[in-house]
Amino acid sequence: MRLVSWIWFWYVLVGFIMGGGAVLIWNVLKKASLMPNWYEWILLVLSFITFMFMGQTFIASFQEVEPRAAWLSLFFMGVPILLMAVGLFRSLNKRYIGN
Amino acid sequence: MTKSKKEYHSTTSRRDFMKMLGVGAGAVGLGAAGVSAGGFKDLDEMMASPLAERHLPFWVKEVDEPTVKIDWDNFEMFPGPEGTLFNPASWENPKDYFDIYNRNIASTKKNVQDNVPGLSLKDRALADANCWGWGGRSGADLSAPWAGADVKANPQWEHPTMYYTPEDYGVPKHEGTPEENSRMLRTAGRIMGAADMGFVKLDEKTKKLLWGKITFENVEKGYAEPEKNKFVLPDKDLWAVCSVIPQSLWMQQYTERMSWASSNTMSYSRANIYANRLSVFLRGLGYQAYGGNTESIGRLVGFGVMSGMGEYGRAGILVSPQYGTNIRTVLVTITDMPMAVTKPIDAGIAKFCQACKKCGEMCPSGAISMEEKPFWGGDAAWQAKGIKGWYMDSKKCYDFMLGGEPDCSRCQTVCPFTKYDEAVLHDLIRISIAKAPALDSAIRKMDDVFGYGKEPDTKKTPWEIDPMDIPLYGLDNSRS
Repeated sequence: MRLVSWIWFWYVLVGFIMGGGAVLIWNVLKKASLMPNWYEWILLVLSFITFMFMGQTFIASFQEVEPRAAWLSLFFMGVPILLMAVGLFRSLNKRYIGN
Repeated sequence: MTKSKKEYHSTTSRRDFMKMLGVGAGAVGLGAAGVSAGGFKDLDEMMASPLAERHLPFWVKEVDEPTVKIDWDNFEMFPGPEGTLFNPASWENPKDYFDIYNRNIASTKKNVQDNVPGLSLKDRALADANCWGWGGRSGADLSAPWAGADVKANPQWEHPTMYYTPEDYGVPKHEGTPEENSRMLRTAGRIMGAADMGFVKLDEKTKKLLWGKITFENVEKGYAEPEKNKFVLPDKDLWAVCSVIPQSLWMQQYTERMSWASSNTMSYSRANIYANRLSVFLRGLGYQAYGGNTESIGRLVGFGVMSGMGEYGRAGILVSPQYGTNIRTVLVTITDMPMAVTKPIDAGIAKFCQACKKCGEMCPSGAISMEEKPFWGGDAAWQAKGIKGWYMDSKKCYDFMLGGEPDCSRCQTVCPFTKYDEAVLHDLIRISIAKAPALDSAIRKMDDVFGYGKEPDTKKTPWEIDPMDIPLYGLDNSRS
């Protein structure tokens, strides 16, 4: 019950961090004249959604008293996120050097 | 059949979880910090534990004297409840009591007759239903009579109009369309204790789900003669109200039997209280109710299937898309209130059972069939023919459960559909099972890999949990 009452705080916090992070990344990319192209946008959105989903599963699994499920969800979803992030970084970096 | 003891659940409480979450760096290290296991030897040891203390919020302090002044030297003992104002004999002038009493009857009647929102017939009926069993002064019995709860208010102790019928109020019985009635009953049902509700019209087919001893006669009201094993329903349009009574998944995470402290039989107790409430509610609306307890109507899984509360699963029990197999019973009440019927469902569950077999593998008595495909059965004396499903060897189950190993609910606990409902992931899995049965085997494997439904660590004990972290009635609120 207590968790239900206070959980909004964490969602607000996550919202602020995500919003701030998005603005920061946008400014950095703009400054470097590196607007993502279409497939970079797809990678960005996909990795963001997967990241949010992973976070929800991780926290919710502990709420469900299923620690093994929590850590494995971190692994199974974290690896694709990492791969997408690396791909995104390499793609952007290549164009940045090219500039 | 002994299985290896593997990790099942951590006993990290929600409070601990929040504390850890608050310690920044946040989530990392979360799972490592489970509360140490090791049960208490006896009650004294448990009481000596810091966990036995009551944890108050920091702004609430304990004081030696209550904030109300008490003069213990002149403090009088009160004779008993008969000395309160509820007893007219305790009034200087009992007539004053009955003036108030009669005013209450008049105003309540007027509100019902004027159909005042919140005080109308259906509101009164629900209030009476929820009052059922209050103080045991109403002839209330946990197992109601077959032809409906027999209740009357004690004029000296309870609300004067408690258990009035529409006739008593001088109003016609509640009239609504079948859809309105169903909606109303589902609302009342949730308040009275049903997790979900469905409705089946009794016809030539569904009457076969009733016990064979139940007969129909051309009478206005049904009746029972238990001494003759005779149970009669009126030969008119009747509906079966099918109410899902859940059991505590939280309690089942403890002990080897996965039914710690009788979470399963506790649900039967709640079911009987619910049955009485439902019966009083229908009576208060001017309708008949038959059933009265968990055993009095017929094949409850069958009614559950026909009302769409779930599908027939491998363990021979109902599998609900929302609650999995962690349903103690589908309580069935027969009524003459017209209801909008709910249809059977297909959520891919029966198909999934073919590939899964987890309940069969985990059943300690080996009672659950491991046949891949469902089959026509019912050859044993305690079974009935007519279903192409999985017939379990109930004798093995019975022998194990009552032969010194009480309260096994393992098949219900390990079912991949039986989950808390915090993680969105579970919904995606359910969608996949319904829409992409080709993935059923893979889903079953992942269920194992993720650690769901493993045998519990028997060293862990619920007595160490902060009592305020235990869900009320043991029912988790993620799915209800």
